[in-house]
Amino acid sequence: MILIHCPYCDEKRPEIEFANAGQAHVARPLDPSSQSDEEWEAYLFIRANPRGRHHERWRHVHGCGRFFNAVRDTVTDKFETTYKAGEPRR
Amino acid sequence: MSDALFRNEPVSSTPYVADGVSISLAAPLKRYSLRARTAEALETVLNVKVPQKIGATEGGIACLGPDEWLLRTPAEAAMPTGAGLPVAITDISERSICLVLEGPRAAELLMTGCPLDLDNFAVGRATRTIYETVEIIIIREGADRFHVEVWRSFAAWLWTAFTAAASH
Repeated sequence: MILIHCPYCDEKRPEIEFANAGQAHVARPLDPSSQSDEEWEAYLFIRANPRGRHHERWRHVHGCGRFFNAVRDTVTDKFETTYKAGEPRR
Repeated sequence: MSDALFRNEPVSSTPYVADGVSISLAAPLKRYSLRARTAEALETVLNVKVPQKIGATEGGIACLGPDEWLLRTPAEAAMPTGAGLPVAITDISERSICLVLEGPRAAELLMTGCPLDLDNFAVGRATRTIYETVEIIIIREGADRFHVEVWRSFAAWLWTAFTAAASH
């Protein structure tokens, strides 16, 4: 089982306590009504699908309950790093 | 008295005793979910010390997350509501029940379905985790004694899983 470091609990915890919550750092437009259909579509649906390094949101759902960001390699499934939500992209 | 008449527990009130471990239902507790941005905010309202570190327990209060605490108390003490202050104190007494695992095989029994390394889980620590697919809160009360908080609707299943694992 993969151990994932939770930046809030500050310890490695088993992966089944966690839930993936999609791509990280997708910012909601501050003024949605100013967006064109294409821009809004891109915000809602278009996601990166990299082979390799990927920024993701994860949630320690069966633990402290917090969302955090992680950098995971999509090929090896290795977690490079995890950091608290709101911290700059690594 | 009326409380005892209407109380209907999802698991047997007779302890299950197996080789090296016993599983029993704890007496009814009062439980409160405490939410606040900081432990200090709760200390002001409750007038007791509130643990800062996730996983720590102090005086019946367990820190489950950066802004979440669980208070378990047998007493029927009046709780402050924290009205007007940036805290939330919610009575969740009947949401869960508490199973007590006791005996030298208690940690082993829990580890049949819980992925945490409970051999290195200090006495006095508490955490939310998972047993197979059921969310539980583990509180290590002693080297050989665990309290397992589980939601009522999952309790019957967990009891069956524990007793089955304990009989092996």
